[in-house]
Amino acid sequence: MKRTAVILVAATGAFLLAFLIYPMLYSCRGAFVVNGHFSLAFFQYLYTDKLTRECIVNSLVLGCVVTIITAALALPLALVVARYSFPAKTLLTGLLLVPMVMPPFVGAIGMRHILARFGSLNLLFMDAGLMHSPVDWLGGARFWGVVIIEVLHLYPIMYLNFAAALANVDPSLEEAAVNMGSSGFRLFRKITLPLMMPGLFAGSVIVFIWAFTDLGTPLVFGYRRVVAVRIFDQVTELQNNPQGYALVVGVVALTALIYLAAKRLFGLRAYGSLSRGPVYGGEKRVRGLWAGLIVAFVLAVVATACLPHIAVILTALQKDWFMSVLPSAYTFGHFQDALGHPLTLSSIRNSIGYSALSTVLDGVIGILVAYVLVRYAFWGADLLDAMVMLPIAIPGLVLAFGYVATFSGTVLDPRENPVPLLVIAYALRRLPYMVRAAYAGFQQVNVQLEEAAINLGSPPLRAMRRVTVPLVSANLIAGGILVFSFAMLEVSDSLILAMKERFYPITKGIYVLIQRIEDGPYIASALGVWAMVFLALSLVAAGALLGRRLGQLFRV
Amino acid sequence: MVSVSLRGVTKRYGETVAVENVSFEVSKGELFFLLGPSGCGKTTILRLIAGFMQPDEGAIHFDGRPIVGVPPHRRNTGMVFQSYALWPHMNVAENVAYGLRERHIERHQREQRVEAALRTVHMAQYRDRMPNQLSGGQQQRVALARALVIEPDVVLLDEPLSNLDARLRLEMRREIHRIHAETGITMLYVTHDQKEALSMAQRLAVMSMGRVEQVGDPRSVYRRPVNRFVAEFIGEANMIAGALLSSSDKFGTVRTPLGDLRATLGADGLHSGTQAVCMVRPECLRLGGGRENVFRARVESSIYLGEVEQFVLSAGGIELRAIQSNPGFEPAPVGREAQVHFDGEDAVLLPAEGAVHAPAEGRGAGLPPEAQGAAK
Repeated sequence: MKRTAVILVAATGAFLLAFLIYPMLYSCRGAFVVNGHFSLAFFQYLYTDKLTRECIVNSLVLGCVVTIITAALALPLALVVARYSFPAKTLLTGLLLVPMVMPPFVGAIGMRHILARFGSLNLLFMDAGLMHSPVDWLGGARFWGVVIIEVLHLYPIMYLNFAAALANVDPSLEEAAVNMGSSGFRLFRKITLPLMMPGLFAGSVIVFIWAFTDLGTPLVFGYRRVVAVRIFDQVTELQNNPQGYALVVGVVALTALIYLAAKRLFGLRAYGSLSRGPVYGGEKRVRGLWAGLIVAFVLAVVATACLPHIAVILTALQKDWFMSVLPSAYTFGHFQDALGHPLTLSSIRNSIGYSALSTVLDGVIGILVAYVLVRYAFWGADLLDAMVMLPIAIPGLVLAFGYVATFSGTVLDPRENPVPLLVIAYALRRLPYMVRAAYAGFQQVNVQLEEAAINLGSPPLRAMRRVTVPLVSANLIAGGILVFSFAMLEVSDSLILAMKERFYPITKGIYVLIQRIEDGPYIASALGVWAMVFLALSLVAAGALLGRRLGQLFRV
Repeated sequence: MVSVSLRGVTKRYGETVAVENVSFEVSKGELFFLLGPSGCGKTTILRLIAGFMQPDEGAIHFDGRPIVGVPPHRRNTGMVFQSYALWPHMNVAENVAYGLRERHIERHQREQRVEAALRTVHMAQYRDRMPNQLSGGQQQRVALARALVIEPDVVLLDEPLSNLDARLRLEMRREIHRIHAETGITMLYVTHDQKEALSMAQRLAVMSMGRVEQVGDPRSVYRRPVNRFVAEFIGEANMIAGALLSSSDKFGTVRTPLGDLRATLGADGLHSGTQAVCMVRPECLRLGGGRENVFRARVESSIYLGEVEQFVLSAGGIELRAIQSNPGFEPAPVGREAQVHFDGEDAVLLPAEGAVHAPAEGRGAGLPPEAQGAAK
C-alpha cells in the first residue's frame, strides 16, 4: 500500500504540475520574457496605457465594492440565523442559497429587462412617484448593474462562511464577556467579531477574487472596461500580442497582494478555543414584533436575490414585454424552441459529457488524494494539500488563458479540440470541493474498520473499496454532484476554451444566443431556466446527502 | 491453530522505542495475556503479530514459520479490536460472513458457519440487526464471532472489554474463557486490567516501557514477582527496604527498621550486603503474633467492609497496608499498637533498584482508589 500511495501521489502531483502550475508559470514567462530577454515592458504598459489602467482600476473597484456590500448583507443574515429561532427558519435559510443555482450572467439577461431604461424597476419607481426620469442602469450606471447582479449571486458564499465562523465561536466566551458586564454592540465588536475573523476573511477573499475576475456578467451588461473582458479579448490575438500575459500575471499578482494586505489588516489568526464547555441555550426564540422584523429582513433578501431568477423565468415565458412592469402576454414557445434549436441541443449534450468526465476525473483524484492525506503521514503531504486547494484561489479566467497560451500548437490545442482541456479545467477548478468532501468522510471512518477487513483477508485496496468507500458514499456522491453541477455552469473556462460551435457547452451557448438580435435572449433564458432547475435539484440532492455539512464545502 | 513465538522483537517510532527486544512463546491452544500500563507497547506487539506493522529487528514465527514480511491479509489471524470495528453498513450476519467471503467459502457452508459462530457467542437471534442497533456487549460478541468464524490460526484481542461497564466485563470474561475452552484456539489477549489477566490467563507477560518484565502463570507472577514494577502493577504491595544479611538457596534475611525479616528470594543477583526490599501483599500481613517475622505496628485506621477489613498500619516510619478476611465482632484497635506478622513463604525479596519504571498512567481498574491515585 505504501508503494501504491507513493505512485498515486506522484501521479497526482504530476497532473497538478502539468495543468495547474506549468500553465501559470508559462503565462509568467510570456509576461516577463520578450524576444528571449527579460523585460518589464509589458508591466510598464499596464501602467502607462490609459485604457488598460482604467480596466484594472474598474475591476479593483468592482471587487472591493461587491465584497463590502456582500459582507454588509451577509453579516446580519448570519447573526440573525445563528442566534435566533424564528418562524419558517428552515425554509428561509434554505431559500437564502437559491442564488447559487445560476451563473450570474444568465440572471443578467433577465435583469436587463428589469433594469432597462423603461424596464420594470424604473417603471415601478415612476408609477410610485419615487422617480421622475428613468435611470439608465445599463448605460451610465451599468457598473451598479454588475454590482447588483454579483452581490445577489455571491452573498450566499459569504453567508455560509460567516455562519460557519459564528458557529465556531464558543458561546461561553460571549457569556464570559456578558458576565464581566459587556453587552450589545460592544460585546459583538470586542468579542464576537474578532473571534469570527477567519471566517470573515475567507468569505471576503473568495468573493473578492470572484468579482474581480468575473467575465460573464460584465460581458452581458456590456461593461467592457474591466480586466476580465480585456483578457478575454486578448485570447483571440494571443500569438501576435503578448499584452494578455502581462494582464493575467498582473491579475494574479494583484490578487495575491490584496490577499496578503487583507490578511495583515484582518490580522488573520485562528483563535482555537482551548476547550469547549457544554453549550447552553444556543438559539434564542423570538416572537412578535422582533420575529416579524427578522422574517421580513430575511424574506426581503431572499426576494431580492430571486429577482434575477424570476426575471430570467419571465424573459423565457414572455411573449410581449415592453414598457410594462410585467410581461403583457406569455408563452411556453421559447422552452420548446430552446430544446429544438441545434445549438442548444448540442450544447446540453456537450455540457453533460464534459461535466460527467470531469466529475469522474475529480472523483478518482479527489478520493485518492483525500485518502492518502487522511491515512498516511508522508513527506510533501502539506504541499499536496496546498496544491489541490490552490484552484480555489485561481480565477477560471487565468487558468483558461494559461491553457490557451501553453497548449496552443500541441495535441491539446483548444482551437482544434477543446474537450480535454475543458474537462481538465472543470475538474481542476472543482477539485478542492471533491477533496474536501472526501476528506471529511475519510476522517470520520475509523482506520480500524479497514484494518478489520484486512485482518480477515482483504488486500488493502479491496478493504478500501468494500469498507471505507461505502461508508463515505454520501460524502462522495454529494461532492460529485457539486462538481458536476458547477461544471455544467462554469463560465470563464467555457467562454474562452470552447472556440468552435460544435464544442460549445451550455454557458457558451447561452452567451452566443444572447447576442443574436431576434429571439436569442428568450431562447437563452429558456436554456438558463433548464440549467437552473437542473442545478437546484442537484443542490437539493447534495444537501440531503450531506446534511448540514454542505456549508463546509464552500469554506476556505 | 499455531504456536506464536517472538524473538528479540524491537519496534521504534523515530526516537522512541515502542517495543524493545521482546521475546516470548505462546504455545498451541494457549490463552496468553499481555498485561501492562497503557503505552507499554502491548498493542504494538499485537499489531506486529497481525502484520499492521513491521518490526525493526527480531523475528516472529507461527509454528516455526517466519511471518515477518507476510502481508496482514494473508496471516490468517482473527483480530478483535478495542473499538470492535464492526462495519456500520453491514448487518451482523454480513459482518461475520466477510472473512468467509474473502476465503471463497461457498454459500451454503458459509451460512452454516456464520450461524454456528453466532450461536457460539449467543447472538444467533440478532443476525439481521445493524451494529448500531446493538449494545456494547452485543457488539463485542459479534466482533468475537467475526474473528472466530474464519477459524484463524490465532485470535488477537486488543483490550476487548475496556469499553464495557463493570458488570458486562465480568460476564464477557466468563464468555471468552468459555469460548476458549470450547474452541481450544490460540489466543493472545492484551489488557491493562490485572484482574482480567489473573482471572483468565493460562500464562501472561507483564510489560513495562516496551520490555517484558516477567512471563509466567498468574499464581507465580502474583506470588513471585521478579521486580518491584511487577509486584506493584499486578496488585497491592508493601515494600520494606533493608540490607540483605544472608541468603540460602531459597530464603534470605533482610535487616529492616522492623527487625530482621525472612522471605523467599525473588530474583537472581541478590547477594549479602546488597540493598533489597521485602515485598508483602496486604492480605499476607496478619494482626497478632506468629512463628516468624513478628513486629509491632500502630493501627492508624481501619475500614470495615464486611467480608474483609482494611487497615493502615505504621511501623518504623513505614506505612503498611493490611487486609484481614472474615473480621470478627471485636473493633479494630485503632490508635494502639498491635503485633503483626507474616509468613516468610508469602513474602519476596526483590532488588531495591532497577526495573522500577514508574508507569505514567493506567494502573487500571480493579485497584483500590488510593493505589490508582498513587500511580498517577
